[in-house]
Amino acid sequence: MNAIIEKINRALEEAAAKAAAASAADAVEQIRIDYLGRNGLFPALSKEMGSVAPEERKETGRAFNEGRNRIQAMIEEAAARLASAPGAAEGALDLSLPGRRWNCGRKHPVTIVADECAEIFRRMGFIVSEGPEIEDIFHNFDALNTPMDHPSRDPQDTFYFEDGRILRTQTSPVQIRTMESHEPPVRIVAPGRVFRRDTPDATHGMNFHQIEGLYIDKGVSMADLKSVLRMFATEMFGPKVKIRLRPHFFPFTEPSVEYDFSCIMCGGKGCPVCKHSGWIEIAGAGMVDPAVFKNVGYDPEIWTGYAFGLGIERLAMLRYRIPDLRYLYENDVRFLEQF
Amino acid sequence: MNISRNWLSRYVTIDCDLETLCDKLTMAGIEVEAVESAGTVPAGVVTGRILTRKPHPDSDHMSVCTVDIGGGTVLQIVCGAPNCDAGCVVPVATIGTVFHTPEGDFKIKKSKLRGVESQGMMCSEKELGLSENHEGLMILDPATELGQPVDRLFPGDTRIEIEVTPNRPDWLSMWGVARDVSCLLGTEAKLPEITIPACDKPAPGLVTVEAPDLCTRYIGRLIRNVKIGPSPEWIQKSLESIGLRPINNVVDVTNFVMMELGQPLHAFDLAKLKEGRVIARRAKSGEKITTLDGKTLTLEPRHLVIADAEKPMALAGVMGGEYSGVTEETTDVLLESAVFFSSNIRATSRELGISSDSSYRYERGVDWDMAELASKRAAQLILETAGGELGSEAVDVNTGRPAEKVIPCRFDRVRALIGTQVSNERIVEIFRTLHLKVDDVTGSGCVVTAPLFRLDLEREADLIEEVARIDGLDRIPEIAVTGKICGSIREDAYLPLETLRNKIISLGFYECLHYSTVNRESALSDSRFTESDLIRLKNPISQELAIMRPSLLGEMLGTIERNISRRNLTLKLFETGKAFCRNPELFPEERFELCLALTGLKHPEQYSEELKAQYDFFDMKGALESLFELMNTKRYRFVPVEDGRFRKGCAAEIQIEGKKAGAFGELAPSLVKGWRTTYPVFVAQLDMAVLLAADHGVGYYVPFSLFPATSRDVAFVAPTGLTHADVLEFIRKAKPADLESVRLFDIFEKDGRKSMAYQLTFRNRERTLTDAEVNARFDKLREKLKNELKVELR
Repeated sequence: MNAIIEKINRALEEAAAKAAAASAADAVEQIRIDYLGRNGLFPALSKEMGSVAPEERKETGRAFNEGRNRIQAMIEEAAARLASAPGAAEGALDLSLPGRRWNCGRKHPVTIVADECAEIFRRMGFIVSEGPEIEDIFHNFDALNTPMDHPSRDPQDTFYFEDGRILRTQTSPVQIRTMESHEPPVRIVAPGRVFRRDTPDATHGMNFHQIEGLYIDKGVSMADLKSVLRMFATEMFGPKVKIRLRPHFFPFTEPSVEYDFSCIMCGGKGCPVCKHSGWIEIAGAGMVDPAVFKNVGYDPEIWTGYAFGLGIERLAMLRYRIPDLRYLYENDVRFLEQF
Repeated sequence: MNISRNWLSRYVTIDCDLETLCDKLTMAGIEVEAVESAGTVPAGVVTGRILTRKPHPDSDHMSVCTVDIGGGTVLQIVCGAPNCDAGCVVPVATIGTVFHTPEGDFKIKKSKLRGVESQGMMCSEKELGLSENHEGLMILDPATELGQPVDRLFPGDTRIEIEVTPNRPDWLSMWGVARDVSCLLGTEAKLPEITIPACDKPAPGLVTVEAPDLCTRYIGRLIRNVKIGPSPEWIQKSLESIGLRPINNVVDVTNFVMMELGQPLHAFDLAKLKEGRVIARRAKSGEKITTLDGKTLTLEPRHLVIADAEKPMALAGVMGGEYSGVTEETTDVLLESAVFFSSNIRATSRELGISSDSSYRYERGVDWDMAELASKRAAQLILETAGGELGSEAVDVNTGRPAEKVIPCRFDRVRALIGTQVSNERIVEIFRTLHLKVDDVTGSGCVVTAPLFRLDLEREADLIEEVARIDGLDRIPEIAVTGKICGSIREDAYLPLETLRNKIISLGFYECLHYSTVNRESALSDSRFTESDLIRLKNPISQELAIMRPSLLGEMLGTIERNISRRNLTLKLFETGKAFCRNPELFPEERFELCLALTGLKHPEQYSEELKAQYDFFDMKGALESLFELMNTKRYRFVPVEDGRFRKGCAAEIQIEGKKAGAFGELAPSLVKGWRTTYPVFVAQLDMAVLLAADHGVGYYVPFSLFPATSRDVAFVAPTGLTHADVLEFIRKAKPADLESVRLFDIFEKDGRKSMAYQLTFRNRERTLTDAEVNARFDKLREKLKNELKVELR
C-alpha cells in the first residue's frame, strides 16, 4: 500500500465521520470543498499520481476513483439525510420575506387619460398636433369668431402679457394653426395645457388640459361627429356608457352642442356626482362655423367639418374617482403611486 | 335665469309632467340646471275617505283604518295621527308614491306596522309640502270626489333654473321661453291681451336723445295720479316664485314686465325730474351719480346716462339713481322703455362693477319691437294696480327700425350638415313654429326672415342649428366612423413625448404635474435665470402664480420638500412640460423640458445591509444612460461642470451629439436648506428639443463571435487626476487587436493613492485565440499603460 492509498483511506474515514456529523448544508458543502473542490484533496492527489511506481499505478488509480466516488456518495447521502430530516424546512428560505422590488414608475393620471385619448383618436385616423401655450389674440379669439366684447376675452377670465398676447384659454387655436398650414382635408386632435383665470379649488385650476378634435372634409355631417364621440365614449368607458348631444352655443361652431356621458358612477340613475341628472357633461362640440372657415381661407361651400374639445382632468377625475382637482397638482407620491 | 312653471303657464299650455318639460328644455338647448319645487304634491297621492277606525291591537296611539280611494278600492292603513276619524276625506299616498325630501327619496311600500298590514299612508299638510302644519292629517272638503290626484287640487309651483347661452337673450323672459316651449310641446303660445286707453296728449320735449349711437330707441310715457302701495298678490307671488323681492306696485310692474317680456323698464318719479323731462346723453367728464344701491360713481363721456335738465338720474340700462326712483310719495311716473347699445352697456357694467337684471338683458341685446309692447303692457298693469291715468302719448324717439335679416335656406344643405333625412315640410314647420317668417318655399329651399328678437339668426348655418335643435339631436343617427387618414404618424407631435414618458416610467420614475405659473422665489431657484429672463403675467391671480416657470426645477423642489415634510423620503419623480424664457440668447420663448429627481433608499422594502443602500450620483447617471440607451441615443457624454443648481464637484453637463442637452447632479446645499432628510437629492434637467432631435435611428445588427473569450486582469495605482474615462480613452486609442471589452471591477483608495483594476476580454470573430496570442496583446497593453499613462502596475 502506497502513501496515496493511505491518504485516500484516511480521508474516507475522516469524511465518513464528518458526513455523519454534518447537521447543516454548509457542513456538507465544506466536505465537498475539502475533498473534491478545486483545491481539495483529490485534485491534489491526482497531481501526485505521476510519481506512483508503474506496478502500483493500476491499484492506486482504482483506489483513487473509488475513493472519489465514495466521498461523492457520502456527500449526497448526507445532503439527502438533511433534506429529509424532521425540521429540515428550517433551513429553507423564509418566503414571506419581502421581495426585492423591480420598481416601475407610473404616469400621472392626467397623462394616462391624455395618452389614451390620443390613442383612441389615432385609431380613428386622427393625427396628433400641438400649438404654443403663449398664444396671440388672433388664434385664440379672432379667428375663432369670438365677438370683440365676448366676456372670455376679459382680463378677468384670461391671462394677458404686457405685449398683448395671452395664455391660450383653449386648445382650439391649434385648429386655426393647423388649417392655416394645411390644405383640407384635415383630421387632427390636439392635447394640451390651457389656462383660465380661475382661483384653484376642487373643480378649477388656473391651468388644466384639453384635447381638441377637428375633422374637415367634403360632406362631413353631425352624424359623423356624433359617431366619433360615441366611439370615443365606448373606447374610454366601455360599451354600457350612453351619450347624448345637447344644443349649446360656441362662437366657433354652428350648430353647437354639448356632449354628455351617462353618469359613470350611477349608470344614469342619478347621484351627487351627476347632480341627479344621470348625465355628465364631457365636451363641447359642433360643426365648424363658416366664419372660421373664412378666417383661414377654406371655402365653406366646399368643406364642412366638426370640432370638439374634451377636458382631460374631468375624465381622469371620473375614471379614478378623484374628488378634488388640486390633488392632481399636489404630487404626493402616495397619490402618484396609485395610478 | 329662473323661470316659474306657473308663470310660464300663463302663456303656454304645459301638458306634460315636470320631468318631461325639463328634459325637453335641456334637449332644446335651454339647459335646466336646477329644479326647486314649492308645494308640489307627489304623484300617487289621491283623495280618500276613511270608512272605519279601530284601535291598533298592539299600540296605544296607532289606529287601523279602512280607506276608500274610489273606483271600488278600499285600503287598510295603519295611522298614527290623532284625527283619522271615520268619514274624513284625506290625502292618501298609495303604494309606490315617492316623496322627495332633503334627506333623500322615500317610497311608500306595503308594510306591517306592529304586525298589522298597512297599504299606504295618510298625509299631513307638511308631509305634502303644502305648509308646515303637522298637527294631524290634512282634512279635505268632504264633498271631494274620491280617488283624484291631490296635486290637481293643490297645484304647487316649480322654480326652474335655466342656463341661457349668450346667443339667446330672447330666453331671458317667460314669453321667450314660452315661445320655444310651444314649439317643443306643439301647443300654442299666447301673449295676454294688452290694451290701454287711448291717449294722444302730446308731451313735447319729454324725451331727448342726444346720443343716438348708444340709445337707438327711447319710449317715454307719462302716467299720472298713481297711488303707490303694495302690488296685488298675483304679481307678488310671481316675482317671489323666481326669487325677486316685491317692493311697490309700480316697481313690481316694471320688474314683472321685464321678466315677462324681456324688456327692461324704468319708472322715474316725474316730480323729481328737473323740468319734468329726460335726456339720454353721454355723461360729462367727472359728472357724478349715486345709484340705488348707494354707490357714488364718477362718470366719463363713454358712459350713457338718463339725465333730467340738470344732472344724471340713471346710469342708462344699468341702474337707476338714488333720488329719481318711485317712492310712496310719487304720484306721476315717467315710464322708460328703451333700447341701448349692448356693447356699451356691457363695457359700463364691467368697468363700474355694477350689474342688474336690466344690464344683464341689455348686454345681450333686447328686441327693438318689444320696447313698444312692453311699455304698453307696463302702462296697462300700472293703471290696473296703482290706478291713475295716462298723462301723455307714448313719446318714441328712435333711429328707425333695424332691417330684419333675410336668409335663404337650402333643404339639401340642412340635411347634409345634420346628417338626417328631415323632410322639407318639417324644416318649414320648425321655422314657422319658432315664429320665424318663411317665404318662397320651393322644392329645394325657402327664405326665412328672422324677427328682431332673434338677432342670433344671420346665416344658413344658424337656421340649420334651429332644425337640428328642434327636430332633436337624438334623431341624428350613429353611423360607422369613417374618414380619411390625413397625414402620417411621423407628423404626430405627441408621439415622441409619449414614447419618452413611457421610457422614463420604465426606469422607475413617477410623473408629476405642476402649474405653469410660479412665484419669484420658485422661478429664480434655477440659477440659470435672472429677473430679466422671466416672463410675467400682466394680470396674475396672485403673486404666487405670477411668473411663467422658466424651468421645471422650482416646482419640483417644492414637491420634493412637501413630500419630505410628509415623511415620503424616497422619491423618484419626473415631469415633462413647457418652460418659458424671455431671453432668446438663453432659450426659445417656449420649450419642452424634462426634469428628473432622485433621493432616498434604493430598496426601502428590504432589510439589513440592503436597506442601507441610498441613491447616489451614479444612480442618476445610470438612469440617464439607461434612458439614452432606450432611446437609441448614441453620442452622449457627461462633462464635469460648475453649476449653481448643484453641489460643487457633484455635477455634470449632459452633451448629446456635441450639443448641450442639460445637466444633473446633487442639489446645491442652498436649495435643500432646512429639508428634513439626510439623503442627498439628485436632479437632472434636460432640454427635450435636443433630446428628441438627436439621432434615434435603428441600430443595425452587429454580428457577434461564437468563439470563446479570454480575459486578463490588470491592476494599477493611478497617478493623481487620472479618471476612468482617461483609462478607457487610452485603451481605445491603443487599439489592441481582438479586445472586446474593458470592465472596471475594482477601485479603492489606500494611503491617498487610487488603485484601479480592469478586466480586459479578448475574442476573435473567426477563431479561438491561443493563450500566447492573448498574452502578447495583453502584455503590450500593460507596458503601454505603464510607460505612457504612467500607472504603477500592481
